[in-house]
Parts: sequence; structure tokens; C-alpha cells
Amino acid sequence: MGVGCLIIKQFGFHYLMSMKGEPDEVLIEKSRDGDMAAFKMLVVRHEGKVAGVVRSMLGATPEAEDVGQEVFIKFYDSLNKFRGESQVSTYLIRIAINLALNELKRKQKANARYASLESVGGMGDAADTMDLKELLAYEFKQLDADFQAVATLRLIEGYSTEETSSLLGIPLGTTLSRLARAQQKLRLALTKKL
Amino acid sequence: MNDSFSEHEELLLRSLDEPVTAREREKLSALMQNDFALRRQSDHYSKIREMMLRQQPDTFGPFFAERIMNQLKQRVNEIDYLIFFFFKKYQVLVVGVLVALLITNLMLTEQFSLRAVFGLDAPGSENIYSIDAYKSLPQ
Repeated sequence: MGVGCLIIKQFGFHYLMSMKGEPDEVLIEKSRDGDMAAFKMLVVRHEGKVAGVVRSMLGATPEAEDVGQEVFIKFYDSLNKFRGESQVSTYLIRIAINLALNELKRKQKANARYASLESVGGMGDAADTMDLKELLAYEFKQLDADFQAVATLRLIEGYSTEETSSLLGIPLGTTLSRLARAQQKLRLALTKKL
Repeated sequence: MNDSFSEHEELLLRSLDEPVTAREREKLSALMQNDFALRRQSDHYSKIREMMLRQQPDTFGPFFAERIMNQLKQRVNEIDYLIFFFFKKYQVLVVGVLVALLITNLMLTEQFSLRAVFGLDAPGSENIYSIDAYKSLPQ
């Protein structure tokens, strides 16, 4: 039994490794046919990008991982709908940003009363003890969810403004305006420190 | 863009994200030379952008893919379980009906042959003996 399991595991590992070089389209086709190892390879390949977006918006929290898992499960459920018109990473980022936005809005709504108390007191002396990066991260979390989404894609993930607009499904002008306002809020926080 | 932005700041921010015309570029560089506050703003924006840009890919931690696969497997098992229980009541019903049928036939025919149990007609003598065999019987 033990040896059998070991052989199966080894075979599975080698099979997974054999798919490392396969393009996404082939892996999707195999996943549609029920090849779970092919889908696992897609998860391994695109985890970084999805994690980047989700954790930028939700932080390194258990909710972020839950959203990450939901992204890939939704993707698995919609494999048959995926027509390959966009790249897999783009498709996944779109799902990720929508789910993260929903979660963020839900969180912000739940924390609204605490946020108002916080804004009265401000950050107080905490800002003095934070380094610049921590301060930026803190101020970033204070932005509205929609602003965070734009700033995440453009400033953190490095997508162009056109790509950001397309991923969020908003006009370019709105992207630019939200981006400018987000940066201005971050700069105001930064000037306190510098 | 927004009322709270000065025209110069708006141009500065736009130049960071969008290609600006040659004229706007010239205007911006002239402004930067003369306006210390704008130059400072530009430095701040550059610093923010530099600090925020992701340097390396993020991760959800080790064995993330395995956790997804387990969740998918678990979901498949749950579906199988639901299907099994959905049909289970019908399975019990069908088995019950069959057993009742067998017992009834057994009691009616008082025979223990399979034919009797399944309610099949007992073969008549005309089915056993062929016509030729019948003819060969003593007259």
C-alpha cells in the first residue's frame, strides 16, 4: 500500500512537471477533459499575479487567501465558458479584482464606525514610529475600495492605464482621475513624514 | 480631473501615466525649473510610485495549489454524496417492492423455484412435450 502510494505520487509529480512547458491553452483544454494535474499547473503558474492583486487590496489576511481560492474555483467552474479571447492571467485578474473589491467593500462597510473614530483621532504618534513603506501601506488601506483597485493595478502591479481601465471595465478618464486622487492622498500622507 | 488639483499638478500627474504632447512636455519642464513646490510634488509622486511598484511576485503561501485541488476534490465528493442520497430513497423503494413481490409470489405459488419466485408461469405439459412426443404416446 505504502509503496503503491509512493509510486502514484512519483508518477503524479513527474506528470505535473512534464506540463511545465505547456502553454495555457493546452492546459485549459486538458483541464476541460478532467485532467486535474493540468489545472493544478495553471494554479501554480498564475498564483503570483492573483496573490499580488488580492493581497495588495486585502493585505496578508486569511480573507485574502479565501478570495484567492475562490478565484481559482470560479475559474475552474467557468473553464467551458473561457473562449481564450483574453489571456488566462487577464481573465484571472478580472475575477480576482472583482472578488477582492466585493470583500473590501464589505469590510469597509463593516468597519465604517471604527473608521470614523479613527479619522477623528487620526494616526496620532503612530505615524512617527512607522517607516515610509508602512505609512504608505497604511494610507493605501484608507483609500476607498474603487481607488484601491485602480492604484493596485496601475501602481503596484504595473499595468498600463488602458489595461487597468479594461480590467476594471471603467472609462480611461475615470481611471486617470481615480489614480490622480489616490496618489494625491498618498502624497499628503507622505508629506507629513518627509 | 478634479477641483482640488491645480492645473500644474494635474499636468504633472497626467505626464506620469499618459503620453503628453510636446507642448505640454515643454510647459512642464519650464514649470519644474521655476516652481520649487511642483518639483517637490514630482519627487514625492516618483517616490510613492517607486515604493509601491511590486518588485517580486507575491504568493498565498506554500501548498496553495494543493489546497485548491483538495477543495475541488472535496466538492466532487460532496456532489457524489448528494447524488447518492438523492437516489438512495428510490433505491430502497425499488428493493422493497422487489422483495415484497418475491414474498407474494412465493406465498401464492408455494414453490421455491426461481420461476415461481419471479412470478413466471409454470410450464404446462404442452410446453414440455413436443407434438411428436405426444404422437408417440400409446393410443
